Amino acid sequence: MIRFNHVTKTYKGSVTALRDVTVDIPRGEFVFIVGPSGSGKTTFLRLVTKEERADDGDIWVAGKEVGALAPWKVPYLRRNIGCIFQDYRLLPDRTVYQNVAFALEVIGRSRHFVHSQVPQILELVGLGKKMDRRPNELSGGEQQRVAVARAFVNRPLILLADEPTGNLDPGTTAGIMRLLERINQYGTTVVMATHQQVLVDSMRKRVIELERGNIVRDQARGVYGMVDA
Amino acid sequence: MTMVSPYVMRETGGNLARNIVMTVAAVVTMAVSLTALGGVLIMRQAVNKATVQWQGGVQVAIFMKPAASTQEIAAIRHELDGMVPDEVKSFRYVDKSQAYTEFKGMFSGEPDLVKVMSPATMPPSFRVVPAKAQNVQQLASNYNQQPGVYDVGYPGQVIKDTLAHFSTLRTVALIVAGGVMLGAIALVVNTIQLAIFARRREVAVMKLVGATNWFIRVPFMLEGLIEGLVGAGLAFLLTYFARDTFASFTGSDPLDPNQPLYVSSHEALLTGLFIVVVGALVGALGSGFAVRRYLAV
Ligand SMILES: Nc1ncnc2c1ncn2[C@@H]1O[C@H](COP(=O)(O)OP(=O)(O)OP(=O)(O)O)[C@@H](O)[C@H]1O
Ligand SMILES: [Mg+2]
Repeated sequence: MIRFNHVTKTYKGSVTALRDVTVDIPRGEFVFIVGPSGSGKTTFLRLVTKEERADDGDIWVAGKEVGALAPWKVPYLRRNIGCIFQDYRLLPDRTVYQNVAFALEVIGRSRHFVHSQVPQILELVGLGKKMDRRPNELSGGEQQRVAVARAFVNRPLILLADEPTGNLDPGTTAGIMRLLERINQYGTTVVMATHQQVLVDSMRKRVIELERGNIVRDQARGVYGMVDA
Repeated sequence: MTMVSPYVMRETGGNLARNIVMTVAAVVTMAVSLTALGGVLIMRQAVNKATVQWQGGVQVAIFMKPAASTQEIAAIRHELDGMVPDEVKSFRYVDKSQAYTEFKGMFSGEPDLVKVMSPATMPPSFRVVPAKAQNVQQLASNYNQQPGVYDVGYPGQVIKDTLAHFSTLRTVALIVAGGVMLGAIALVVNTIQLAIFARRREVAVMKLVGATNWFIRVPFMLEGLIEGLVGAGLAFLLTYFARDTFASFTGSDPLDPNQPLYVSSHEALLTGLFIVVVGALVGALGSGFAVRRYLAV
């Protein structure tokens, strides 16, 4: 589903953010990307969505080589990828329902499709009763659920999560993780960057560890630290 | 139920007001520039009309009163005959019906005006080509006093003055139009930039979920197009309804020095449509530029 082949990325006037990274994430997998701050986790995710370009190597996403993709095709690539972030990125002047519907409306989905999908997905994330609230009337965990709903409403092949629980307490974090696992069970490949040791340790999923742009560990059913499973 | 903090309300209100001010500024500037352009076009039409009318070397016109008697006309003709070829190179008589035909041709776009006139109300005239340009003044004063003569016009000079005057006016107006147009474009670009900034969160989400570039751009481009069209609409109204004022800036009608030059509503309409097209283009180009510049994808 996602394959990096000897990928190197250097930002202008900065150190190399990723160096000769080769990794293969098959369809339906749930992967953690861990590593200290500045190790290249966000860069990895931004290369998948082609928000950044690799300097070297090639990247394959959903069967397409991202580097060779014409600019006008990039939006269609992104329709296969849902993204969530630490800061939720919801639109403050729209309701929960409108935030999720927006993601479908702007890719030209019919009103009928929107009406049928949005309530269903909000039910799935447990916000069926709060569709008319605005983001500032929700808790952090609830806001992140809205973001998950928005990312998943178009049934993407891939869900990228960049420290989605960074601002949440452990109980709320557990709820979001259950939600992501559930989405993973529907067949969506989930890639999640995180710092949170407890969370990774408890899940026992594949762990890819970065350090200053290099992959220093790629372990199935791993934990956060370098302890054998 | 909705809790909106005073801060958010202030910020939103401030944004809106700022945008309204900017939008109004862009529209008004656009209107001023296009009105200057429209004024030039109107004046050119008026001048062209006067020039075309007097092609054929005619330099002096002796207008008879519409009620002038046959004897009075014959006397003038006799006198002119006597001046050929020393003082007058040639002359030709335009009778009432020919004058009417000419009038109809000039004001074909003004059926109402043509309707109220008839051959009987038209002044017959002698169109005289003097042997020397210097004779024009003398001819004019000579015939002005004759019985039956209503007026003597020497349009050659008038046209020369008009053309010189027009060329100055045109230069000034085009410089104004061009300078103000640059301001108008800058303001359009700026309003679109502000609009993009105000909607940056929406734009970021749209990119994230895979909206196409055109889907993201079109609303902003439409905003610029509308600013251009509204500005052009104002300019259209000004140009159309003030067309006679614009025409009169160039001088008076050589055919009838007491009348200002005149442009028909039909001609003014075409000029106005041209202005609307220019306004729409400028609005679309300005916003297109802003979108390319500030909405990188
Ligand atoms: N837009 C950019 N321009 C220049 N340098 C950048 C840019 N984005 C990231 N970097 C640099 O690239 C390196 C990797 O950054 P990245 O954001 O991928 O790290 P990260 O693992 O996500 O860190 P964190 O855990 O703090 O989010 C860092 O050294 C960072 O300073
Ligand atoms: Mg990061």
